[in-house]
Amino acid sequence: MASVKRQRPTDGLAVTQKVFVRSRNGGALKIVREHYLRDDIPCSSVCCDDCEEYYRPSPDGQPSEPILSGEPLEITKNGIGRHYLILDTNVVLNAIDLLESDKVFYDVVIPQTVLEEVRNRSYPIYMRLRALCKNDDKRFVVFHNEFKTDSFVSREKGESAQDYNDRLIRKCALFYSQHLAKHKLSVVLLTSDKNNIEKAVNEGIRTMSLHSYVSLLPNYSELEDMLPSNETFSRQLTEISYQEYYSPARLMGGIKSGTLFQGTINISSYNFLEGSISVPSMPKPLLVLGRENLNRSFNGDTVVVELLPKNKWKKPSTEIVDEETINSNGVGDEDEDEVVISDQERRLLAEHAVAAQGEDQKVIPTARVVGIVKRSWRLYVGQLAPNSASKDQVGGNAAKSCFVILMDRSLPKVRIRTRRARELLGKRIVVAVDSWSPTSKYPDGHFVRVLGDVEDKDAEQEALLLEHDVEYRPFSKNVLDCLPKEGHDWKVPEKLDNGDPQLAQRRDLREKLVCSIDPPGCVDIDDALHAQRLPNGNYEVGVHIADVTHFVKPGTALDQEGASRATSVYLVDKRIDMLPMLLGTDLCSLKPYVDRFAFTVLWEMDEDANIVRVDYFKSIIRSKEAFAYEQAQLRMDDPAQQDELTQGMRILLQLSKKLKQKRLDAGALNLASPEVKVHMDSETSDPGEVEVKKLVEANSLVEEFMLLANISVAKKIYDEFPQVAMLRRHAAPPATNFEALNDMLRVRKGMHISLESSKALADSLDRCEDPQDPYFNTLLRIMATRCMMAAEYFSAGNYGYEDFRHYGLATEIYTHFTSPIRRYCDVVVHRQLAAAIGYEPLHPLHRDKAKMDLVVKNINKRHRNAQFAGRASIEYYVGQVMKNTQSVHEGYVIKVFSNGIVVLVPKFGVESLIKLESLGDIRTSHFDEDLYKLTFTDKNGSERQVSVFDRVQVSVTSQLDEMTGKRKAQLLLA
Amino acid sequence: MSRLELYSPEGLRVDGRRWNELRRFECQINTHPNAADGSSYVQQGNSKVLCLVKGPMEHGANLAAGTKLDPNGPVLSLNINYPPFASNERKKRPKNDRRLQEISIILKRCFMKTIVLKNYSRTAIDINLTVLAMDGGLLACFCNAITLALIDAGISLYDYVSAVSVGLYDQTPLLDMNALEENDLSFVTIGVVGDSDKLNLTLCEDKLPLDKLERLISLGIEGCHRLKELMDLQVRVAGGQLQERQ
Ligand SMILES: [Zn+2]
Repeated sequence: MASVKRQRPTDGLAVTQKVFVRSRNGGALKIVREHYLRDDIPCSSVCCDDCEEYYRPSPDGQPSEPILSGEPLEITKNGIGRHYLILDTNVVLNAIDLLESDKVFYDVVIPQTVLEEVRNRSYPIYMRLRALCKNDDKRFVVFHNEFKTDSFVSREKGESAQDYNDRLIRKCALFYSQHLAKHKLSVVLLTSDKNNIEKAVNEGIRTMSLHSYVSLLPNYSELEDMLPSNETFSRQLTEISYQEYYSPARLMGGIKSGTLFQGTINISSYNFLEGSISVPSMPKPLLVLGRENLNRSFNGDTVVVELLPKNKWKKPSTEIVDEETINSNGVGDEDEDEVVISDQERRLLAEHAVAAQGEDQKVIPTARVVGIVKRSWRLYVGQLAPNSASKDQVGGNAAKSCFVILMDRSLPKVRIRTRRARELLGKRIVVAVDSWSPTSKYPDGHFVRVLGDVEDKDAEQEALLLEHDVEYRPFSKNVLDCLPKEGHDWKVPEKLDNGDPQLAQRRDLREKLVCSIDPPGCVDIDDALHAQRLPNGNYEVGVHIADVTHFVKPGTALDQEGASRATSVYLVDKRIDMLPMLLGTDLCSLKPYVDRFAFTVLWEMDEDANIVRVDYFKSIIRSKEAFAYEQAQLRMDDPAQQDELTQGMRILLQLSKKLKQKRLDAGALNLASPEVKVHMDSETSDPGEVEVKKLVEANSLVEEFMLLANISVAKKIYDEFPQVAMLRRHAAPPATNFEALNDMLRVRKGMHISLESSKALADSLDRCEDPQDPYFNTLLRIMATRCMMAAEYFSAGNYGYEDFRHYGLATEIYTHFTSPIRRYCDVVVHRQLAAAIGYEPLHPLHRDKAKMDLVVKNINKRHRNAQFAGRASIEYYVGQVMKNTQSVHEGYVIKVFSNGIVVLVPKFGVESLIKLESLGDIRTSHFDEDLYKLTFTDKNGSERQVSVFDRVQVSVTSQLDEMTGKRKAQLLLA
Repeated sequence: MSRLELYSPEGLRVDGRRWNELRRFECQINTHPNAADGSSYVQQGNSKVLCLVKGPMEHGANLAAGTKLDPNGPVLSLNINYPPFASNERKKRPKNDRRLQEISIILKRCFMKTIVLKNYSRTAIDINLTVLAMDGGLLACFCNAITLALIDAGISLYDYVSAVSVGLYDQTPLLDMNALEENDLSFVTIGVVGDSDKLNLTLCEDKLPLDKLERLISLGIEGCHRLKELMDLQVRVAGGQLQERQ
C-alpha cells in the first residue's frame, strides 16, 4: 500500500487508497481500492467511556453494546494484572480448539487484519472464529483496526505483505494498551512468531508466545496438553523420509498436461496401506499402495497423484492388513528406487493405464501421491496406544509423546505430547492433527479433550457423533430465539379471517377424518392421511405433512442451523434433532386431537388408484388418532370396527396395495439390508435383545402414499423451477459394480443378475432362489444393495431430465417432501412448493443456483454421515448384547481372501472377518481365487473348504479390541 | 465465495464505510469551457467520469445523416467512451457493447423527461461521456455528470437528476456500491428528481426480492438527495466565479 494523501469528506471520516499488485495468469494487475478511515469504531470495553458515542445500531435497529468485561482475568505474575488478549493469526490457526475451550480465553480482541488472514488461510477456522465472536459467554470481539484512524498505519515502500500485517497487528496492540491505560487494564499480544515478539517488545508492547502465556495460568496443567504441537515438539530423529510434495506450479502444470491426476483419496477400511482414487479420465480407480506412495495422505484428502511405472502395477490386494500386523519393515516400507520418467512417457503411461483397465485384466495401474490440495483434517476420536504408558509406572510426570490410535481404521496413528498419559489410558479422547512432516512416520497432533471411559455408553455415543461429524450440541440462544414466543402454548388462531392474508389461503380440513400411522413411540409426527369415497365413485385421498416452514423462515438463525444439520440423526437410544424439540415434537408434529398447520397434497383417485386430479395447498387439520403400525393393522383387520375412520383406513390400504403393484410392475426394486433393532430394557436402559425389523401391511400403506406425494410434488416444483427445484435421483448401477458378485454367482450357483433395467434386475433377483436355503435370496439382495449407487439430492439444473430417474423406485422424478421435521431437503421443497402455488414468494436462498448447490452438497454429506452414525450405534449396542451371551448362529460367507473369510450373521446384522490363523493351520491352506474357495486343515486336523455363499455355523461373541477400544463381533467357525 | 467480508457483523463494509454512507463525492463543472458548451467532471469514490455537452444545435454532429429533427423537442444523442485503461483488466470493449448501449438508452429516456422539451424543438443535443476510471456505479456517475454538464450548457431542466446505486447484502441494504460489492451482490440504480421522491431512472440488472425493494429505494432516495445538495453547492460556486469574472 502506498501512502496517499488523506482526504476528509466529513468530520471523523478520512479516505485513503489501498494500492496493491496482484498477479493473474502471469500478468501483473494494479488494483486501487478506496479505504475509509474513521474515528467511530469502539474499543468494545465496558469500562471505556471515550467510545460511548461510537456504538451505532444496525440497519434493522439492533443496538450494539460493549462486550469486553470490565473485570477480565488477572494474572499477578510478571505484573500483567487485569488484561485483554490480542491474538495473532498463527495462534488462531494453530490453537482454535484451545480458544473454544470454556476453561480459558475470555475477553479476546481479534484484529481485523488477523480475521482476514485467517479467512484466507482456512475458511472453516474463520467460521469457527466468527462463531466464537457470536458466543456471548466468551466475549470475543473483532476490532476493525484498519478502519480506525488511530490504529491504522500505511504500508511502507518495499514492505512485504506479511511484515505489513504484523506491523498493523502490533499497532493495534499498542493502540489498545494506550487507550485502556487509564482504566488500569493491560493488553497482551499472543503470537508464535519469534521475530514479531522481538519487534513488539522493542515497541513496548506486552507480547508472549501462546505457550508462555498459558504457563502463567492457574489451570496450566490441565491446558498444557491442548497446546498445538509445533511449539512443543522438538524432534531430532528422522524415522522415515517421505517424498516432498511437488510445488503448486508443478502440480497445476501436470494436471493441465494430463501427466498428474487430481481426486479424492479413499483408503480401504480393510487395509490401511491401500488407497484408491477415482479420476475423471480413467474408467476405474487408480490404486495407491504402501505408506510411501500414500505419502502422508489421509482418507478423504483431495490429492494429486502420478502414475507409477508399469512394472509396479498390481492386483488389488486379496489380503487384509491391519496396522498392528505390520512391523516396521513389513509391507509398504519397501525401498523405492527413484525412477526418472519423462513427461512424454508419463502421458504414454496414462494411455496404457486406460487400456489396461479396458481390457478387463486384473492388473490395476498404481500411482503415488505427489501433492495434497486439500486436507480433510477434522477432530478425531481415538485412544492412547496401550503401550504408551503403564498404569503402575512410578513418578515421571514429564511430558512424553505417545500415539493415539484413531477409531477410524483407515487413518494412521497420531502422535501427541502429554503429561497425563497414565490418566488418559483407557479413555476415549479427542485429538486434532496439526502437521505431518516428511521426516515423521506419523502425523503430529494435540490432545483436545476426554470423552470418557472406553465402552462407557455416553462416551461411545459422543465419540461416534464426533466421528461422523454430527452436530449434537444443544441449540444456541440465537436459534431458540427464532421460536414462537408462546412456546408450548402456541395455538392455531381461533378466527381464520383475522386479516392475515396467508392464513386466509389455508383450507380448513378439521372435519376430515385424518389419522397418523407411525412406528410405536413416535413423537415427531411428520405425516397424516385421510381418504373418503366421493359421490362420483372415486376416492379423495389426502396426505398432510407438518407445516414446518410456517415456523422456520428462510435466512433466520433457526433456518441456518437446520440447513447445517440437514437431518435428524437416530441412534439406538438417542435422537439428535435437526430442529428444536418445541417444533419437532409439539408445534409442527401432527399430534392427535389438536389443530395443526399442514401442507396437503390432495388427490382424486379412481378405483384402480389412477390419479384423476391433484391439488396442493396449505391447510389446518385435526388428527383424530395417532396409531402405531401394529395398532392400525389390528384395527383394519378387525371386522367389528365399522366406523368411518377405519373405513377410510381400509380405503387407503386397498389403494396402497394397487399402488405398490404398479410400482413393482414398473420395476421398483425390493432390496434388503441386514437391519436389526435393539430392544432396550426399559428399567436399566441396558440393551436387551436384538431383533430383525418386522414389517406389517400398515408400514407399506404409509410408505406408498408418501412415495406418491413425493413424486407428485417433485413434478410440480420441477415445472415451476426447472433450474433450482430440489430433487432426488438414484443412478442405475454401472455393470462393473456387479462384476464381482455376478462372477461369484456364476461360479458357485450358476445364476446371474441381469442389469438391463431395474425391472430386469428385480426379476432376476426374484429368480435367484436356492430351494435348500430360503435365506439365500435375502442374502443376495443384501449383497446386491451394496453394489448399488447411493441415491443423492440435486438441484434440477445440474442434470438432464433423463438423469433424474430414481432407479430403485422406478420413477422418472422424485424428491423428499414428507418429513420436513427431520430432513432439510423437505424444508426446501416445502418452500418451493409454497412458491409454486403462489402462497408466498420464494426466498433468494432457494432461487440462486450456486447457493442451492451448496445446500445440496451439505445435505448429501450429512445424510450419509447420519446413516453411518446410526449403523455405528447399532453396531456398538449389538456388541454390548453379544458381550453377555456366547452362542452359535447361522452365518454366511460373503467374501473370501487368501488369509481369511468374511462372514455375515443375519441374526445380529453383523459381519466380521475370520482370519486364517483362527480357522486352522496356515501352512496347509490353499486359496483358489477363481473358485472363491479356501481350503485348509482345521483345528481338529480334518480338511475343510469354505467358499463364498456357504452357510456356516459360527460361534458369536464380542471382543474388545485392545488397540482401538472398539468392541467387535468375534466369530469362530463352530 | 468472496475473499473478503463484504459486510461484517460489526457493520462495516469492505472499504470501511457503514451501510448508509456515500463514497467521497467530488464534482466540477465547466471543466472544458473551450471544447464544449457544457462540461463536467464527476468522481464517486474511485469512479471518474467526464461529460461534454454540445448544443442545442441545428445539426447534431453525432447524428446519422438524414436523421430528421423533431418539432416537439430536441434529439438527444449519446456517446460513451470507455477506454481500456479505465477498468481493471485492460481489455478493449467492442464498439457496440450491449450493456453500454442499454445504458445509453436508459439515460436518453431519463433526460428526455428532465429537459424542458418545448424550449428545444428542432434542435440536437450531443452528450459525450468518457470513463476515466471505474470502481462501481457506472450508470449513477453518468447520470450525475450529464445533469451537471447540461446545467453548464445552460439547457433548461425541470430539476437536478441525481443517481446512486443501492445493493442488498443478505437483509442489509448498502448505499453507493463499489466494484467489489457490485461483483457479488444484486443492486439497483435509481435517479431522483431534485428533492422529490420521483424516480426518473431505475435499472436493476440482477434478481432482487420484491419485498426488499422498497427499503432499497428509500435508502437510495436519501442518498440521492445528499448528492443533489453537493452538486447544487458546486454549481453555485461555479456560478459565483462566473459572475466575478464578468
Ligand atoms: Zn474505548
